[in-house]
Amino acid sequence: MSCYSPPAFACRLFQTVLPVPYQGALLGDLIEEYTLRAESTSPSAATRWFWGQACRSIPFIVGSSFRTGDWLISASAATGVYVVMGMIKFAADFMITKLVAPEQTAYIVLAPIVFLAITSIGGYAAARIRCGTPIFLAFIVMITVGVLIAVKACSVPVPWWYQFGFLTLGPLSVLLTPVLFGVLKPRSEESTT
Amino acid sequence: MTFLADLFYIAKQMKRGELLGSLEHIILLALARLDGNAHGMIVRREIEERTGRNISIGAVYATLERLEAKGYVSSSTGDPTPERGGRAKRLFRVEAAGNRALQISGQTIRSMTADLKGRWETI
Repeated sequence: MSCYSPPAFACRLFQTVLPVPYQGALLGDLIEEYTLRAESTSPSAATRWFWGQACRSIPFIVGSSFRTGDWLISASAATGVYVVMGMIKFAADFMITKLVAPEQTAYIVLAPIVFLAITSIGGYAAARIRCGTPIFLAFIVMITVGVLIAVKACSVPVPWWYQFGFLTLGPLSVLLTPVLFGVLKPRSEESTT
Repeated sequence: MTFLADLFYIAKQMKRGELLGSLEHIILLALARLDGNAHGMIVRREIEERTGRNISIGAVYATLERLEAKGYVSSSTGDPTPERGGRAKRLFRVEAAGNRALQISGQTIRSMTADLKGRWETI
């Protein structure tokens, strides 16, 4: 039994966020090779190799999901989660503007906090529902925020970095929350996704 | 004349969609070389050692999945091992259709490169 363990964050990324074909087998291969490399070179070199493999594999994994039609189920689940997130956001905005802090300045401060909380919960829920769903949810969030920025939906003048924060941190929180919390959807046959 | 006959033969034999992509071709060849059961990382290593191409494991599995959908390879699940974090291997093997596709691709390449050898030697 080896004392080397591969980067946990990268492993969780594969297990929760990505619609990986043969997920268990692919991750097992990576872990096996990581151990061999850590023994023959160094753990840091093996970690770099592991991350390199993980990052370079993402486009192929997503592409493969599109080819097999598996993405349709994940995209539908992501849309469902997004609708629920939208309703929660609407309710939260209503409460903030009408009850908690009617003035605009307070809303500008509270809006990103509420937004990030909702996207984090959405990402977590999406990963619980189905492996691969968070990546579609992150995409939907990014497109929506992008459109809202383009049509200048915000009536209050805000600095560019404020909007940029929504555009980047929103999708990131969707992707990273399930990874950080190690959400593992139980799979009866993980190797034949 | 032989070249033309070969081309007609290939066109007749090869159904639409039977042409192998370059990565598909290399991965099928690696599987054939490994003679039967091989998992993704072994295939990746074989390709790296023989061609120098450092391809990602994701690319290997995505291609293997595509080849399996075409019926060129089949897969079976091995036993889980502690070295793999308790995860089972997915073992792939080339099927008859895969061997046929390899044969046809080989013939295509041979036919297309038949008279080019002399030209390459002068470069």
